[in-house]
Amino acid sequence: MHPEKQTHAFEPKIIAFVCTWCTYAGADLAGTSRMQYPSNVRVLKFPCTGRIDPVFILKAFQQGADGVLVSGCHPGDCHYIAGNFHARRRFAVFRKLLEFIGVDLNRLQFSWVSAAEGGKWVEVVTDLTERVRAMGPMTEFKELAMEEQWSGAINTPELQEAYNSI
Amino acid sequence: MTPIDTSIYAAITDAIQTEAGRILSEGQVTAVVGYAAARRKGSAQPIVISNPDDAQKLIFTAACVNNLAVYLTKAKKEIPKTGKIGIVVKGCDLKALSGLMGESQLKREDLYLIGVPCAGVLGSTVQPATELTTGTIAAKCTECDAHLPTGCDFVPNQTPITPELEQKYAVEIARLEALTPAERWAYWQEQFSKCIKCYACRQVCPFCFCEQCLCDRNKPQMVETTPRPAGNTAWHIVRAMHLAGRCAGCAECERVCPMDIPLNLLNRKMAKELKELYDHEASFEVLDKGPLTMFTDKDDQSFIK
Ligand code: SF4
Ligand code: SF4
Repeated sequence: MHPEKQTHAFEPKIIAFVCTWCTYAGADLAGTSRMQYPSNVRVLKFPCTGRIDPVFILKAFQQGADGVLVSGCHPGDCHYIAGNFHARRRFAVFRKLLEFIGVDLNRLQFSWVSAAEGGKWVEVVTDLTERVRAMGPMTEFKELAMEEQWSGAINTPELQEAYNSI
Repeated sequence: MTPIDTSIYAAITDAIQTEAGRILSEGQVTAVVGYAAARRKGSAQPIVISNPDDAQKLIFTAACVNNLAVYLTKAKKEIPKTGKIGIVVKGCDLKALSGLMGESQLKREDLYLIGVPCAGVLGSTVQPATELTTGTIAAKCTECDAHLPTGCDFVPNQTPITPELEQKYAVEIARLEALTPAERWAYWQEQFSKCIKCYACRQVCPFCFCEQCLCDRNKPQMVETTPRPAGNTAWHIVRAMHLAGRCAGCAECERVCPMDIPLNLLNRKMAKELKELYDHEASFEVLDKGPLTMFTDKDDQSFIK
């Protein structure tokens, strides 16, 4: 029996970029073991964490993600031997850049989840979902994507009139 | 504002002219990339000479701001890439050349390096005929650790006098780091919103030599190309990320930006983080691998669950 489903005012969208060999298999294990985890997470499968370009994370935020998870094999377990080591450096630096630009890093989670760690997958996803839920929607990048850019402000009556007549 | 001593630049100019004339007439190089006087009073522009008689056109002054390394990359087709090329380099430019050699874009044996002992050059918003002072000096020169290039084929025998200056970028980075994320976001949005996507910053950077930039692709389009807020922010994040661990700190991107966006501030921040995380710094050393193309099994992973 499923436990009573709790309803919330805000359901965050979580995008998970995962590697096919470890975390995807881990999530699969959680599923086949009938473990419950928030359906807020949308899983995108990649060959390796080394294939996950930081620009994917930007794109996810622009297109409405409230939180992003990047997850792959534990160090030493990479199917391609070193992909996750490269990813580890890249994301360590990318986090610092986002922080400097003014992004709250609590919306971005990195984890190692192996194919045997269905339970850890549930834990990681639940933690991130609840944390992001408490933070509320991520608006920064979404607003940018919605906004039009003007070469100048419409700050005189003449401009306003010209604008209205378009 | 105290003046900075640039009296050695006259002797450096003479030495560069003599050396360029000699290597061209002896046939050691096919061309020399250097600086020549431009039309506006006191200004300088890049020049490529292949005739020994033109060597007397070469100069070095505080207005020689350009990083000439960019002309040797495959993105610039103007320079004949046949035979050995001579090039005039300041310390910061030499770091860029070292980086390019590390990325297998250039070979040391194809270059004849004329290093310049440099006390500093003028800031990008200063008129070229202005005297070099602690107020008019380029921000990058306040943090320079490479006044005297080493490992070159020829360096004029001069020693620049370089006073300790307030490190402009370090101060600004510290100021921004002390703000809240929301304040930093507001600051950068104000800066990025000015961007007109002219890509002058990309054009001038020696490390932006990709034949197809990710930011120009449209299938799939990862970064919006129009100068709208989302695309501007993404462009600046992607640019800073792609240059992390490679940028030589020549500040050319910031100099050429017509909208005065502090691009090098992002570069310096990344450099600072790479120094702290992986003890990497741009230098004259030619490295096989940059900090983001290598790893160790001891790398920090405290941020990974
Ligand atoms: S040079 Fe300045 S305005 Fe042009 S694309 Fe670069 S940052 Fe934008
Ligand atoms: S990013 Fe800017 S400072 Fe760095 S190498 Fe390129 S042009 Fe120079």
